[in-house]
Amino acid sequence: MQSISPEQNITAVENAILETNKRFDLVGIKAEACQHRSGKKYSFVHIDCPPNQWPSLAKWLKFEQGVDYLGMITGIHYPLEFEFISGKPGYKPGTPEKGWEVVIHLTRKGIKNPNVGEQTVINASKLSGMDIPLEYQVSIILPQTDEPKIPSVQSIWEGADWNEKETWDLVGIEFEGHENMMRVLNPHDSPPGFHPLQKPHKIRYHDHNEMYDDAQGFMRKPLDSDKKK
Amino acid sequence: MAEMWITMGPQHPMTHGLWTLRVKVDGETVVDTIPELGYIHRGVEKICESRDYTQITPYCDRLCYASAMTWAQSYIYAAENLLGAEVPERAEYIRLIAVEMQRIASHLMWLGAYCPDVGNLTVFVWCLRDRELFLDLLQELGGSRMHYNFPRVGGIKRDLPIGFAMRARAKIEMFLERLKEYEMLLDESTIFLVRTQGVGACKAEDMVNSGVTGPNVRAAGVNYDVRWAHPYSVYDQIDGMAAIEKASSNEGSDCYDRYRVRMTEMIESCNMILSALDKIPGGAETHYNKKDEMIYLKPPQRAPEGQTGFSNFEDSRGESSFYLVGGGGKKGRGEFPYRISIRSPMFITIPYVAKTMIGYKVADIPAIMGSFDPCIGETDR
Repeated sequence: MQSISPEQNITAVENAILETNKRFDLVGIKAEACQHRSGKKYSFVHIDCPPNQWPSLAKWLKFEQGVDYLGMITGIHYPLEFEFISGKPGYKPGTPEKGWEVVIHLTRKGIKNPNVGEQTVINASKLSGMDIPLEYQVSIILPQTDEPKIPSVQSIWEGADWNEKETWDLVGIEFEGHENMMRVLNPHDSPPGFHPLQKPHKIRYHDHNEMYDDAQGFMRKPLDSDKKK
Repeated sequence: MAEMWITMGPQHPMTHGLWTLRVKVDGETVVDTIPELGYIHRGVEKICESRDYTQITPYCDRLCYASAMTWAQSYIYAAENLLGAEVPERAEYIRLIAVEMQRIASHLMWLGAYCPDVGNLTVFVWCLRDRELFLDLLQELGGSRMHYNFPRVGGIKRDLPIGFAMRARAKIEMFLERLKEYEMLLDESTIFLVRTQGVGACKAEDMVNSGVTGPNVRAAGVNYDVRWAHPYSVYDQIDGMAAIEKASSNEGSDCYDRYRVRMTEMIESCNMILSALDKIPGGAETHYNKKDEMIYLKPPQRAPEGQTGFSNFEDSRGESSFYLVGGGGKKGRGEFPYRISIRSPMFITIPYVAKTMIGYKVADIPAIMGSFDPCIGETDR
């Protein structure tokens, strides 16, 4: 299978970094090249972006850099302290400046509608300039807060719609300006504030010992057994 | 005429799994749709935060019951990225063979499930019969029929059994002959053509903007494929190309194009397997012992805080991605991932398909939905 060569990839990455740093030098957006440690044989562009600059960066990427595809949005929770195992505190992943992180994976695919009855067969080795497919990874770091928020990019990439719904549903990061936000994976009547991928939320069998001591769960009561329903 | 809502699902022949499509109809025409997912949400991402890197593989197998091997491989590439593991080349070839076989089996499962939707029951039986050819081969590798737990971080579980290459070549030769029979049965069936041609038109640019990937986009006349755009494994060393179909109208590709592209992709996968069997280092008829350095290199067991791993993988249904953050586990020692995030192609595709149905008749809903190959196991994860 004819594929993109490492030289083509490096040229595209260097151009993208140069242009991003030139355009967003003054607002605190920084781009750098990242190499996959194994498996993938190419580099991608990593961009650190402050939350308030995200919509302008997104618009620039979509309309001037040709980044037409939003792959995935990941929300990560870094609390100051939480108990990974019940009763054993002391695990401190977060800092006051870094409480939440949103990582967005984008790809420049350069797909155009072909004419009727035609197919665009791309010769990978002859691609150059903006036609070379390129991956972007945008990282947005938020400080410690109970209500993490970033602007929505639903109007720029339609694919962001359900990704943002999922991130809010599971992690609890709000997307300002998102229309029709709703639960997608959790039950629709889940209580407000129920976001299972936040770190303090515990599942049954979170701890190995717990799992082996009482594998069937006969001895355990539900966590909310003392509360009136 | 008065409009009304119809609820299709969670148990409905159209759904191919457990989900609900709420359809607003005006007479026979679809006016609005709302998909509802999450019926089999198992919380895999949360569970994996308390499992080590080897223990996660079986969970990823179970993300999709029709395409277990590709999902496990997709995870393994991300984990290797995170841990910085090296993989022997022979193991990469065997992985490629396994993945392409799984792709054929998955497409056969799709064809078998789709044809009854559009009125052809014979192909269903034929597809399940021929899927067994490839499931048997995969069983020789992984030891079970559906959930193989075959790839390891740093290699594979065991080498090709003696005689595997011979059996694989013979079965592929037989299968390529049978594919012609399928094409005869479907392309000459008036009912199949009427139900699929000119139905469910989608443009390539719209699909990419909405996050639809894989064969569904290639059906619209574009040959974007992760396997050449961001090459992983040894795809750059073997013969074969991405399957691609011509856009049939100004509105883009229809259900028939999506059927054609999967048929072509099965042939291309067969070519890739044959090519890989010829080029595999060490020879396809040699059998190395378990944990020989030709097929397995011991990887680092822990990933410190701040390391991340990402993989973008051409699954049978589109691009599946994993994003892993290291540094989890008890007191952050890094034996577990801190966060594992899964991108399922169908989770994004199903809402898009629900939108494209607007304007078509109610009877077209199963034809359009089925042609995108929905799988709810990976959607709800």
